[in-house]
Amino acid sequence: MGEMTPRRRAIYCYTGNREKADRITAHDPLTTTTVEQMMAVKAPFPDSTRDVELGVRLAEAAWTIIGLEGFKIPFDLCIEAQALGAELNWGRIDRQPSVATHPFKDLKDLKIPENLMEKGRFPYKHEIVARLREKYDFLPITCQVVGPFTLAGHVFGVENFLIWTRKRKQEEILEALMLLADVNLMDAKEAARAGADFICIADPTATADIISPQFFRDVMVPVYRYFSERCPLPIILHICGNASCFLPYLPDTGVDTFSADAHVDVAFAKQVLGKKVAVAGNVFTINLLMKTPKEIRDEAVECIKKGTDALIPSCGIPPRTPTENFRVLPQVAKCMVFY
Amino acid sequence: MASKEEIIEGFKKAVIEGDVEAAKKWAEEAIKAGVDAYEVITQGGAKAMEVVNELYERREYFVPEVLCSAVALQAGVDILKPHIKVEKTSVPAKVILGVVEGDIHDIGKNLVKIMLSAAGFEVIDLGKDVSLQKFVEAIKEHNAELLGMSALMSTTMPGMKKVIDLLVQEGLRDKVKVMVGGGPVTPEWAKSIGADARPKDASEAIEVAKRLVEELKRKKS
Repeated sequence: MGEMTPRRRAIYCYTGNREKADRITAHDPLTTTTVEQMMAVKAPFPDSTRDVELGVRLAEAAWTIIGLEGFKIPFDLCIEAQALGAELNWGRIDRQPSVATHPFKDLKDLKIPENLMEKGRFPYKHEIVARLREKYDFLPITCQVVGPFTLAGHVFGVENFLIWTRKRKQEEILEALMLLADVNLMDAKEAARAGADFICIADPTATADIISPQFFRDVMVPVYRYFSERCPLPIILHICGNASCFLPYLPDTGVDTFSADAHVDVAFAKQVLGKKVAVAGNVFTINLLMKTPKEIRDEAVECIKKGTDALIPSCGIPPRTPTENFRVLPQVAKCMVFY
Repeated sequence: MASKEEIIEGFKKAVIEGDVEAAKKWAEEAIKAGVDAYEVITQGGAKAMEVVNELYERREYFVPEVLCSAVALQAGVDILKPHIKVEKTSVPAKVILGVVEGDIHDIGKNLVKIMLSAAGFEVIDLGKDVSLQKFVEAIKEHNAELLGMSALMSTTMPGMKKVIDLLVQEGLRDKVKVMVGGGPVTPEWAKSIGADARPKDASEAIEVAKRLVEELKRKKS
């Protein structure tokens, strides 16, 4: 076995083999960008969400400024929708780009161009991965894809799509989601070629606050499984909100790690998932934003005691989070062995 | 012709089941039969949404079902609204509603909007992804008594505090009551940022809105 690099450690921790690592990882596969990092490396939003040079610099800040053990690309959730024809609000330094228009009026309008990976900012995203890989062999890189349910909300409009989940045939809904999972697959394959280690499916809209456990089991599980059976890289699935009621179905999705939001108890998740799916999480983002380093340290230690496999925030980091607060996570991960 | 009770019951059932066509049918029936439109909205529609909220709380309904009900209610309200008689039993007041900037999750806000308009409030809906300054401008422009802000993402929640801070800066905080809502927004958070209330759902928002406006009017007089 070679040296225990952050990359090797992250691969062990995010694939359910953390006993082979020396400690848990502090590689954050969720959104890591903050205003202070942007200022420090002079790569502000929105320019860094469009320019490869600036994008590389901002991604690096996770390691050079915060000490997070790896990189996560991209910085917003709009690359897929934009390439499929949505217009964006580009945001500003403390605000991510967001989707402004929905390109498809109906399920049957959804078409995925074959050259999608050449469109919009997909080339920007994969180029950043390639450049980071060239420079940092020892650090892991996560490529985030916007999960099919959230992407459906982006391209059809969330309300429309949610209503259709009740009013249209389930086969039609499944078909659209599988097509969108194909977008994720094209993206994942390209990211793997560029040197990424993980795919993080960010599917914030597929939360238990919005969809039922039945819908998750009958529709989302087959969609995620379809993706995981074809994806060349280990998968981290992040679902916002209290996804506790989805836990029993997670092993069937085929994902390697579940990233738990703040309302999910990590100890409970570990108990339900056992050895089948690793658990990452879940220092509450609002506490990272508002509380003191000492309070954050206590919460981080608590997460480790509960058995988390990766010490990360509960969700994407709020842009105004102070650096000294965010730094606590890698600091704690480094000095804590497993409980 | 259907009786008043049948119409109200029929409309209520249509809304609970999220059946747009049936909701329209019963709303038209109500107008034909001369049943008070406001009564159909409050006794049928608002009561239906209470049932829907209960089903949601019991986790029998989820957001898609609630949304279907809201759409059915809106379809009915659109037909009934022009027939509502002017004198309303509730406390008349202007309410500014919106989802704070960076956030496009407006389902909850739309439910609150339907409920508040059904209860007789004049709702000025700023929509979603609303810039923080725009809330303050709208309060000034419309001389509103109440502000309702919503956020579903923990990353956008801090925007609510900024709006309240802006209101303080501009000397408007005493002139307007503020309620906040959305998935991650807890009553503790609401209190900590200086909001007046965090109703737990759209139907409670009506009671809270009435109470806040009464408080405000009492203070002014």
